Amino acid sequence: MKIEDVVCSFCGCLCDDLVVEVEGTRVISVENGCTLASEKFLGDHRLKTPIRRDGNSWTKISYDEAIAETAEILLDADRPLLYGWSGTFGEAQSVGVHLAEILGAVIDNTSTVCHGPSILAIQEVGHPGCTLGQVKNRADVVVYWGANPVDAHPRHMSRYTTYCDGFFRKDAFKDRKVIVVDVRDTESSILADEFVKVNPGGDYAVLSALRAIVRGKRGIIPPEVEGVSREQLFRVADICMSAKFGAVFFGVGLTMAPGKNKNIRNAIEFTEELSRHTKFTISPMRGHWNVYGSNEVFTWISGYPYAVDFARGIAFYNPGETTSVDILKRGECDACLVVASDPGAHFPKECAEHLARIPTVQIDPHVNVTTHLSRIQIPVAVAGIDAEGTAYRMDGVPIRTRKLFQGQYPDDFEVLEKIYAIVKEAKG
Amino acid sequence: MKFLLNTGRTIRQGSFVERKNSPSYQTAAATIFMNPVDMLEIMVEEGDHVRVRSDVGEVVMQVSPDVGLPRWRVFVSLGPYSNHIVSAETHGTGMPDFKVTPVSIEPTDDPVLPVGTLMGLCGGVPYED
Repeated sequence: MKIEDVVCSFCGCLCDDLVVEVEGTRVISVENGCTLASEKFLGDHRLKTPIRRDGNSWTKISYDEAIAETAEILLDADRPLLYGWSGTFGEAQSVGVHLAEILGAVIDNTSTVCHGPSILAIQEVGHPGCTLGQVKNRADVVVYWGANPVDAHPRHMSRYTTYCDGFFRKDAFKDRKVIVVDVRDTESSILADEFVKVNPGGDYAVLSALRAIVRGKRGIIPPEVEGVSREQLFRVADICMSAKFGAVFFGVGLTMAPGKNKNIRNAIEFTEELSRHTKFTISPMRGHWNVYGSNEVFTWISGYPYAVDFARGIAFYNPGETTSVDILKRGECDACLVVASDPGAHFPKECAEHLARIPTVQIDPHVNVTTHLSRIQIPVAVAGIDAEGTAYRMDGVPIRTRKLFQGQYPDDFEVLEKIYAIVKEAKG
Repeated sequence: MKFLLNTGRTIRQGSFVERKNSPSYQTAAATIFMNPVDMLEIMVEEGDHVRVRSDVGEVVMQVSPDVGLPRWRVFVSLGPYSNHIVSAETHGTGMPDFKVTPVSIEPTDDPVLPVGTLMGLCGGVPYED
């Protein structure tokens, strides 16, 4: 059976034009998808049953046992951490926040190691953004700063920018200028009309120089700023100022580099400077397919987008203190529930060591790096393949992912609801 | 020799995220890209193993040339190998310094460890699927 308009649940692009052929409970072909989508839909490498670590070996256990033991671990903990959430759908994320509240836990999502600094900057100076549809139809200048879409968001350029014709951009490839700013040559920088190669950690200074140029202060710019010549800075500023509609997309090359949230603040203020001359917008290249959704759901319920600490009985938010890496580094949490993410792979070693010391439970369809650090793993259905739910695209547009077939696994929502019910009963 | 380590996403790493016990993922996540002139300086060829050390740890990876990298700068895909040597210090931001870790690199004959074994060093118990 061929199913059209399938939503891809891999990256923040949430491409919704895939054609997927299903035979029984297997996907046998994918059209329109990128390499990442094909691997995701055609992959058949699920963990088959819940597993529990017993000493130095692993045992298969039932779902009921796994769920009961998970609830017990969370109830026994003084300072549980509930981490992940970006690889699942909004309905499950919602149960997660309620579970955190009733436990007095910290709940954090993967923004903490991707666009958390962007959120901090946006809370300081706002977010002059727009939807990807606006970019597709209007933008004649696109800037990718600290982002490598060819590798991380492979269809971003073909669906929204370089290779995609729009309502006011009938010949996009010729009409649009693409500027890439990065510390190294990438597959994306090869495609740029202008590649700006910045010294590592030099983004803040280059953004400040560009702001000064846009403000009319060309005379104060030195011959070189962090590896970028004055001439190229003038050229980039001129391209941007002569745009009819410009769009800046920034990646973790900016949020993780020295300066972090201050880099993003400077990039937003650069965008605002440009909007004194023309129309410019700025948006983060969100990584996980529903990381934006985790920020939305956390905010609806708690008022804060990530790193929410319920230990005081109310929601408390202080990134740097209530963020997962800091909590694990301090050895503060005494249990961890990981849902739909892989901190074992993506957190520094000190954090992985603490995850191995405490009872860590993972809810995830696949064996990943965190599996080796866990006490229990509960496999679940994959949202967008055998589970459905609401996700948010990188520009904040909600899109409903679809269930392509009825599989044998419960979904995140069902498993979390059962854990919540046990905890609720115990807490009274 | 001293280098500055940058980490980030690659399409090969992304392709194998649901098979993290596989040799393909290990290759994608444990390859360190280096300017070919730097490879000459430390006398390694493509596929050779190197020991990468930072202030917080060390890990063995295989080396691959990348002419797009400036000298004295190396790149590794994000994942358990790069994170074995990245500090958890966040400077009050919640975000570690994934882009600028000073490291030293030297040739070695030691093997690149499988993901499960690497997590075993962190206190975990490898799960073979």
